[in-house]
Amino acid sequence: MFELVDHTENINRLLARYGVKFGIYKNQEFHEQLFPFDPLPRIIEAGEFDFLNRGLSQRVNALNLFLADIYQEKRIVKDGVIPEDFVYSSKGYLPQCEGIVPPASIYSHISGIDLVQGKDKKWYILEDNLRIPSGASYPMIARELTRRAAPAAFSRTHIVDNRNYASMLKETLDYVNTGGINVVLTPGRYNAAFFEHSYLAERSGAVLAMPQDLLVEDGRLYYRQYGGKNLQVGAVYRRLSDEYLDPLCFYPESLIGVPGIMEVYRKGNVAIVNAPGNGVADDKGIYYFVPHMIKYYLGQEAILSNAPTYLAFYEKDRTFMLEHLDRLVVKDVSEAGGYGVIFGSDLTKEKLGELARVIRSEPRRFIAQEVIDFIDLGIVEGDHEVPRKADLRAFVLSGKDVRVWPSGLTRFSRNPDSFVVNSSQGGGFKDTWVLSQ
Amino acid sequence: MKKLRFRYEMELTFDALVVEHHFVFRCLPLEDHGQRCYGLQYGIEPSGPVHETTDGFGNRACVGEALGAHDSLRVWSQGTVFSDRSRVVREKVQPLFRFPSPYTAADEALVNYLQDCRRSWQEAGDFPLYLMDCLYCDFSYVPGRTSVATTAAQAWEGREGVCQDYAHIFLSLCRLAGYPARYVAGMMKGEGATHAWAEVYEDGAWTGFDPTHNRLVDDDYIKLSHGRDFGDCTVDKGCFKGFAAQKQNIYVKVDE
Repeated sequence: MFELVDHTENINRLLARYGVKFGIYKNQEFHEQLFPFDPLPRIIEAGEFDFLNRGLSQRVNALNLFLADIYQEKRIVKDGVIPEDFVYSSKGYLPQCEGIVPPASIYSHISGIDLVQGKDKKWYILEDNLRIPSGASYPMIARELTRRAAPAAFSRTHIVDNRNYASMLKETLDYVNTGGINVVLTPGRYNAAFFEHSYLAERSGAVLAMPQDLLVEDGRLYYRQYGGKNLQVGAVYRRLSDEYLDPLCFYPESLIGVPGIMEVYRKGNVAIVNAPGNGVADDKGIYYFVPHMIKYYLGQEAILSNAPTYLAFYEKDRTFMLEHLDRLVVKDVSEAGGYGVIFGSDLTKEKLGELARVIRSEPRRFIAQEVIDFIDLGIVEGDHEVPRKADLRAFVLSGKDVRVWPSGLTRFSRNPDSFVVNSSQGGGFKDTWVLSQ
Repeated sequence: MKKLRFRYEMELTFDALVVEHHFVFRCLPLEDHGQRCYGLQYGIEPSGPVHETTDGFGNRACVGEALGAHDSLRVWSQGTVFSDRSRVVREKVQPLFRFPSPYTAADEALVNYLQDCRRSWQEAGDFPLYLMDCLYCDFSYVPGRTSVATTAAQAWEGREGVCQDYAHIFLSLCRLAGYPARYVAGMMKGEGATHAWAEVYEDGAWTGFDPTHNRLVDDDYIKLSHGRDFGDCTVDKGCFKGFAAQKQNIYVKVDE
């Protein structure tokens, strides 16, 4: 695999040309930055992938059952397994979705589960992303390019081909399609992940649609073609967030939504992928309860562990948190993308005191986790290989059955002292090789 | 029990043509143990086929679109409602109504006001009833000072507003005090516009409070919808394409 190193510059140049960029908004201005690619892949052996596969499928199964329960019977709340607060005061809980049964009762069709591997080789789940997890396109295109650059590396090693993501995505959309075409709905060119939207649409044979290309008429959703004839849409892989999806149902100010789409969805005349309202299940507070969900819905022990987590909502946990604040990482449950993450060890005495006060006054808002000393992966910097913290986003697709994509997005921090790998915080990415034997 | 006849009319006029007008109207009374509806009719002009639906809160809504160019949209509904709120019907509460919502999240001023009310209450009588009385005295009905986007905290700051603001502040205070409470959009006997009030869950049943008039809801009221706040109960919601200023006229009549 080291022959890939010589091609790093070329591959990065090609990625830039293809538009593999990450857009971020800073001070209300749009900046595009490259998403640096490192040629040394993360390698996962066949046996290990099999273990991850079982653990991730189990987790996503439980999360889908949880979502169906929350928007219908709410047994898990009535049975006291999860306190009411964590459902009803979650920003991601949308009462507008009450009583809607999505096609095939699938809520999270495409789940992005973030994991890290500890120095003890044990895997820990860091976060579930069940709304619109992005990132699958990066290892897809990187694989495409590296195979072309150094074909020998791929013929010598037994690597599972990851270029099937598009067909997995297509099967997932087809499975819930209510009759009509598949579209990928993008908010537009200034979205952080626009490259991904267009790439996935092209590869999966879906139509890339802007909001103004879609129209609701007489209880159905249509795509407007240039010729004037409208095509019925059966599944929308939407890449815009819930609040903006339908101004008649959510934010009335939204200009990037499709008016009336929620009613079409409620009637069962279109599938929305992923289902609106999923935010209630990937909240950092709900994360704490996922092992309990697995037990409750599946009667099984969780195969993959959470990082040890404390919930400020529970007095016992809060006391522990406040006593050990200097060694824990505190997270604001309402933030995402690496924002609102505070390492106690970075804070001065006064700042720690301030944080403790905020936690005491708004316990529902915070969780704390033990800092996991996760393994470093080598990255190429100049002529050297240097160790950097890296995580893995695994993509789990739920359709006829639940499948884990045999690859994933490995993100690393370019800063030697940082544990934060989010691309919005300037990290880079690697391909993830799953070995077939 | 009362037999009420109602008529609701709403007309939107635009000073230029607009297209692709999508709308949701919650202008049909809901059926519950306090009211029965007969002979409900409605019309929307211009419009393609209209679908009747039930939203996440159990409210009835008419959904549709007028895609072609138009410079006005008229909606009307009418019918007969037998209202009888004398019976207390115990039911389960949806925990959702315990929590703050977009319009009703309390700020420090509201928290302090609730504390003041608690202090002066002296534990005599029903607390929500006392709260309604306080609010009625400390807040004035002044149209034009607030808009449909004004939150409870913002309205309270100015101490002036309309029925929607009274309802939001009252909801905010009740939820803060630990009572599940919900927003109600509806109509009241007489002539004028639609009205808004609140329901509070106490002793296993919902009771209607009208803080704008400082009275409990009786058989003179017709309930259209309920939800967490105005956002869930908007009687007329719509969006269209076009560069036009719009004017809205609402007419409501309820008589016995």
